[in-house]
Order: sequence, then C-alpha cells, then structure tokens
Amino acid sequence: MKSGQAEIAETSKGIQKRGLMSRRIAIFEFILRIIAFFNTISSAILMATTNETLPFFTQFIRFHADYNDLPALTFFVVANAVVSGYLILTLPLAFVHIVKNKTENSRILLIILDVAMVGLLASGAASAAAIVYLAHNGNNNTNWFAVCQQFNSFCERISGSLIGSFIAVVLLILLIILSAIAISRRH
Amino acid sequence: MAKESTTIEVGEPSTVTKSTSHVVVDEKKKKGFVAATAGGGYKRGLAIFDFLLRLAAIVTTITASSVMYTAEETLPFFTQFLQFQAGYDDFATFQFFVIAIAMVASYLVLSLPFSIVTIIRPLAAAPRLILLISDTVVVTLATSAAAAAAAIVYLAHNGNPNTNWLPICQQFGDFCQAVSSAVVASSIAVVFFIILIVISAIALKKH
Repeated sequence: MKSGQAEIAETSKGIQKRGLMSRRIAIFEFILRIIAFFNTISSAILMATTNETLPFFTQFIRFHADYNDLPALTFFVVANAVVSGYLILTLPLAFVHIVKNKTENSRILLIILDVAMVGLLASGAASAAAIVYLAHNGNNNTNWFAVCQQFNSFCERISGSLIGSFIAVVLLILLIILSAIAISRRH
Repeated sequence: MAKESTTIEVGEPSTVTKSTSHVVVDEKKKKGFVAATAGGGYKRGLAIFDFLLRLAAIVTTITASSVMYTAEETLPFFTQFLQFQAGYDDFATFQFFVIAIAMVASYLVLSLPFSIVTIIRPLAAAPRLILLISDTVVVTLATSAAAAAAAIVYLAHNGNPNTNWLPICQQFGDFCQAVSSAVVASSIAVVFFIILIVISAIALKKH
C-alpha cells in the first residue's frame, strides 16, 4: 500500500513536469502564430499597395504596373489575406491550448487546418516567385521580356513582399511540427 | 486475513482459479491485451493506408517528373527571329520543377521503410513523428514546385497583355499539353501528401 502511494506521488510529479513542458510548447505556438500573422498581413498589404506609372506612354505598351495586372500576384494577395485571417481566428484556440490539459482532438483539427493553409500559402508564394523571377529575367525562348528594366520600384517591392510570405510558410511548418509533438506526448 | 491469502495465491501458477483477485488480475491482463490490439487495430489500418498512399504518390511524382522532362516540341519552320523549339530547359521554373519533384519521389521511396515499421509496430510514436515532420517539409517543396510550374503554364496558355507576354501554347500545342498534365499529376501528389500528414497526425493520438 505504501509503495502504491509513493508510486502515485511520483506519477503525479511526472504529470506536473510533463504538463509544464506542454504548456511551454503551447505558449511558443501562440507566439509563432502571432509572428506568422504579422508576416502574412504585411506581405499582403505590401503587394496590394504597389503600383507604378511611368511618365511616358505610346499607343502600344501600357506603362502602368499593378498587382492586378498579373494573376499570380492577385492570387498571392488573396492567399496571404486568407491565411492571415485564419491565423487571427485560431489565436483563441491556441490560447485555449495553453490553459487546458487534454487538447488532443482540437490539436488534430488544428493540424489539418494548418496543413491546408501551408499548402495555400506555399502555392501562392511559389507562383508569385515564378512570376517575379520572370519579370526580373525574362525568357529569351518565348520572347517574354523582363519587365523590371522599366518598372524598378514596382519590382523591388514585389520581390520584398515575397520574403514575409516565405517566413510565414516556415513558421507554419514549425507550428505543425509542434502540434504533432504535443499530440504524441504521454499525458 | 483475506488479503494475505490473496497475496499467497497470486504467487501460484495460473491453474488456481478460485480466488477473486486472480480473476481480477486475469481480467486486467485481458483488458490490457485487448486495449493494445484495439488501439493497434485502427492504427495498423491507418498505417497500411499510409503505405498504399505513399506508393500511389511515388507513381504520381515519377510520372509528373518524367512527363515534364520529356516534353519537347520542334515546329517544322523557322525564321531568323524566333526559336521554334520548346523543351523543359527553356524555362528555369520547369527545371526547378523536374529537380524538386524528383527529390520528392526519392524521399517517398526512402520513407517506405518507416511506413513499414509503423505497420509492424502500430503503437510506436517515434517513426510516425519522424514521418510527419519530414512529410511536412517535403509537402512544402512539392507544393511550391507545382504552383510555380502552374503559374508559368497559365502564362503560356493565356499570356499577359499588360506585360506583352504572348501565349505560346497557340504554337506549341503538344508541349503545352505535356507540361499541363505534369502539373496536374504533381498537384494530385500534393493532395496525397496532405492526406498522409493528416493520417500520421490522427495515428499519433495516445489513449
């Protein structure tokens, strides 16, 4: 009987230690979510507010560049806006994970949604990166000429807004891994 | 008094069936065994499904990579100004696509042993966790390769009037078809990957 009581005391200490570790993981996840939200919203805003109009014009070529002109950039803005809205909406859920103990089912839901968002964000960022690369370098074989030689500040801004999106992709991957580790822990 | 007799009888071999505590121990062992196979049962099913999905994803990614690699077309006329040959290496994005999808396919082949381990030992968490972490990293690579190639394919189909980029699909019909089907195949592989990650996450749950 006494050995049983000692065992119970030991397991409760073990549970407390493990509870502390999961709490730290949950707090870290919460912070990562906030940082990823700021990254995606700033990427979306930066891309959506770039436009450049060159001071001359001819009949044949337009001299105004906007994110609306390239469908991949439009998709990028929409994807970043959707992911930033998702991150804000799941902040309360992440907060609940800090406080509550048995969080496995909601964590599984969060992993599923996070994976979908990683797919959306990565595809938006990658397609925008392909178009930005084409705008910088052009393509000799298809006679697609490099737009950046004329629209300098437009090109710089759209290249810069990609960085925030890529950082948010890495952060979302970290979030998925942390959620998986939290699910697999024994408590 | 009754408790002392109970402790003595537990030490005897299992042919003694009269004491209640021995029946309790038997039931506990049975319950533990049943719980192990029950948890192992559905997890083993998930692991088998995971293995089959991995095989399907290997087939899909190898198809995508090889179709893009062999997509080539030469038009039967020529002028001084325009090239009339199209191959995957004319586009930097398609080169990235071929290499990235080939890397994804080799990762999937290398992850098959881990998947087999999760079938054999369904209650072990470490192989599943390793699979989930590496799957998440690789799904991002596959998604970005598929999306970048899709952006270029969209441009090749529709062009862009604002930047004077002409749609080349009107001339290179076969090349466009091959490249588009490679992009579709890699997108299907990405969907398989997402299902794989979700399966690993569900199977990580401990009871």
